[in-house]
Amino acid sequence: MAVDTQTLPAMVDERAPVRRVKGGVTYAVLGLFLLAIAVAVLGGDRTTTIAFDRTLTDLHWAVPTRPVVLALGAITAAAGAWMLLGLPQRWTKFASAAAVTAFVVGLLFWSYSEPGTVFRAESILAGALFLSMPYIFGALSGVVCERSGVINIGIEGQFLMGAFTGVLVANITGNVYAGMAGAMLAGLLSTMLLALLATKYQVNQVVVGVILNLLALGFTSFMYDQLKKTEGFNNAFSIPTISWGPLADIPILGPVLFQQKLFVYVGLVMVFVVWFLLYRTRWGLRTRAVGEHPAAADSMGVNVNRLRYWNVTLAGLISGFGGAWFTIANSLAFNKDMTAGLGFVALAVMIVGRWNPLGVLAGALIFGFTTQIARDLDASGSALIPGDFLKMLPYAVTLVVVAGLIGKARAPKADGVPYNPGDK
Amino acid sequence: MSDSTATTEAPAEQPSTDQESKPNFARLFGRYLTEANSVMVTIYSLLLAFLIGGVLLIVSDEYVRSTWSYFFSRPQDALLGSWYLIRDSYLSLFEGAILNLNTLDRFAAGDAGVGDLLRPLSETLTYATPLIFTGLAVGIAFKAGLFNIGAQGQMIFGILGALIVGFALDLPIWIHLPLAVLAGAAAGGLFGAVPGLLKATTGAHEVISSIMLNNIAALFLVWAIGTDFLHSELSTQLVTKGVDESATLPTLLSSLNETLRVNAGLLIGIAAAVFTWWLLSKSTFGFRIRSVGFNENASQTAGMHIGRTYTTTMAVSGAIAGLAGAALSLGVFSTGVTTSTPLQYGFDGITVALLGRANPGGIVAAALLFGALKAGALSAQPDVPVDISTLLQAIIVLFIAAPALVKAILHLRTPRGGLVTLEAKGW
Repeated sequence: MAVDTQTLPAMVDERAPVRRVKGGVTYAVLGLFLLAIAVAVLGGDRTTTIAFDRTLTDLHWAVPTRPVVLALGAITAAAGAWMLLGLPQRWTKFASAAAVTAFVVGLLFWSYSEPGTVFRAESILAGALFLSMPYIFGALSGVVCERSGVINIGIEGQFLMGAFTGVLVANITGNVYAGMAGAMLAGLLSTMLLALLATKYQVNQVVVGVILNLLALGFTSFMYDQLKKTEGFNNAFSIPTISWGPLADIPILGPVLFQQKLFVYVGLVMVFVVWFLLYRTRWGLRTRAVGEHPAAADSMGVNVNRLRYWNVTLAGLISGFGGAWFTIANSLAFNKDMTAGLGFVALAVMIVGRWNPLGVLAGALIFGFTTQIARDLDASGSALIPGDFLKMLPYAVTLVVVAGLIGKARAPKADGVPYNPGDK
Repeated sequence: MSDSTATTEAPAEQPSTDQESKPNFARLFGRYLTEANSVMVTIYSLLLAFLIGGVLLIVSDEYVRSTWSYFFSRPQDALLGSWYLIRDSYLSLFEGAILNLNTLDRFAAGDAGVGDLLRPLSETLTYATPLIFTGLAVGIAFKAGLFNIGAQGQMIFGILGALIVGFALDLPIWIHLPLAVLAGAAAGGLFGAVPGLLKATTGAHEVISSIMLNNIAALFLVWAIGTDFLHSELSTQLVTKGVDESATLPTLLSSLNETLRVNAGLLIGIAAAVFTWWLLSKSTFGFRIRSVGFNENASQTAGMHIGRTYTTTMAVSGAIAGLAGAALSLGVFSTGVTTSTPLQYGFDGITVALLGRANPGGIVAAALLFGALKAGALSAQPDVPVDISTLLQAIIVLFIAAPALVKAILHLRTPRGGLVTLEAKGW
């Protein structure tokens, strides 16, 4: 019956109090969980050490863990109780945000209280921004495609093609920037195939997207094996970290924003460029129209399939560049299936961001942070959770987010529907 | 919730060219060959894929590539070099998958037995066995309009379920083996039901949720193999305990030759195909699956539970994928499962189902073809890159999924009923 409630806007208001009960119970349980951890598991002598490891290397801030987790658990539970008892509509978001933030911070304090672990604030935040880049590039490519009405499930494949071609071209030309251009071109050629099939041949976009992923996997693995027989096609290339002089020495902000690789700046700029193009230009209006109601756009003189074709094709430049992140930004050589499903996580980020570039930025930062925490905890040898389970974290978060949000996030109306000017 | 519909293209022009002359057999046959019907599209897809694969072999081979650089002074080097490369590559695929010509010579001279001669075929059947299951799993979901991309993860849980029952219990063979097989199906089915349930209750698209579950399952397998419960006591490698003799699938041809690995899993696979055919075309449940896949709204109006059908279809699909896992951990890997046991069988199931057009008979045929490709590629490496099988599979099904592309490339005619492709839903 979920379908019915979506189509009737009048029922949304009636559902709001129900959701508050659900949320309230959830937060109350989570808060009680934190409180239980603080009382039962954490010893009174546990401390969580926070370090500014890049700028103020002498500063180590040891915080007693138990009282902090107790306080955060209390905040989470209190927010839950408030939502259960009833609160004005406009406070709901605030209460939710407070509960979630308190719970996550509480978990972090707990995780980093294991002896020998240090919360290296600057490295972790800078790493989180860096790790959110593939999600930003992938999801932006998805936004451009899906806003035009074409489902791009082949981001994973475009990543692989970009990652492979980036290294290959860099090796052949000896220039890492030529490699990045090559990666973009590879991404463009991959999406051009999708665009052609989606507009001219009107295929099922989900099925073909999955096949294009397999094709990219097969192609890059095949070429990897063939080229491996000769030296000099798959050496790692790297690009320098850009340091903004004195700005880079500001605590927290410096390492996070002013001491990053080119990819980070391109990613951040791209978010705003795509947002501006989509919402402030004629092209953007037409693109959104084509994605929502192609027949209406057509009757206003927009060539639906041509616009879709070029939008999807050009989106490949973004996802191809995102592919280069896997190899060039990480200073790695290409390896088979090295994108490890992150192209699909990027799709989830696009849904979390509700097909909006600014939402994508927020979603990507959350996922980047999750990934970074998982990696850091795994590397620090915190025995709390096995490493394999930590690696599951981004995928599990994606699952929860997609299941929890997709009913509420609305896709462009004509997303995935081939447009045939003949049948109106 | 937008559905992608309209996957048939109306015939552009009615064939009215030769009304005056009586159609004879040759003319009819010729027309059949130049028409984009599903048989010819399949055949042309295979040919085009092997053609493109050949071009990629040439481009990626260092020596042959170098001969093309002086093509205009000595063209015969490039042409002959390319020809030999393609011929040798595809011949070694053939020899690894179907019949080894060297062994045939030795057989004729009396140096080799029937068992040696059958070895490539046995390998093909061994690799085809899990593909039959995963292909059926994806195919049955297709019929309900669901794209079960999660066969890989469901298979992994099938591997673990069958493995645990296979070594932890101590039972006579007539109960132990069936129980272990069923445990694999149950584990896969439970894991497979999750994306169906999520789709039914929250609307989460099964493609994304099942891919996430694939990644989670793969990591879970790595962790599980390392646990004390599963890890082999005999080895320091990352390998599990083997299953008991009483839970091992018997080999079919080892009386001819010890190395023939094909086992009773193949028979279970064929039985599963027959069962799927029965389920889809003869049972009420199958009718509901097809009905929901064909028209969700009409089915709902007719009183069917759409969400429940999604969940149960995904559970059945997952159970069949779980059988693939059982066939692996009780069959070829009965001495111990490693992280590489699942290979890509789950993902290959997608290509198998597409090539088989989601019909059980077609799926078995497609599984045999792709099993042959895999067996050939594995025996031909390192001369031929092992991933040529993935590459060829992907190109073949790309053409299968986009018949209009084949039609445009080869200038084929539109058949009477229009072009047929598969359907799946949008977000």
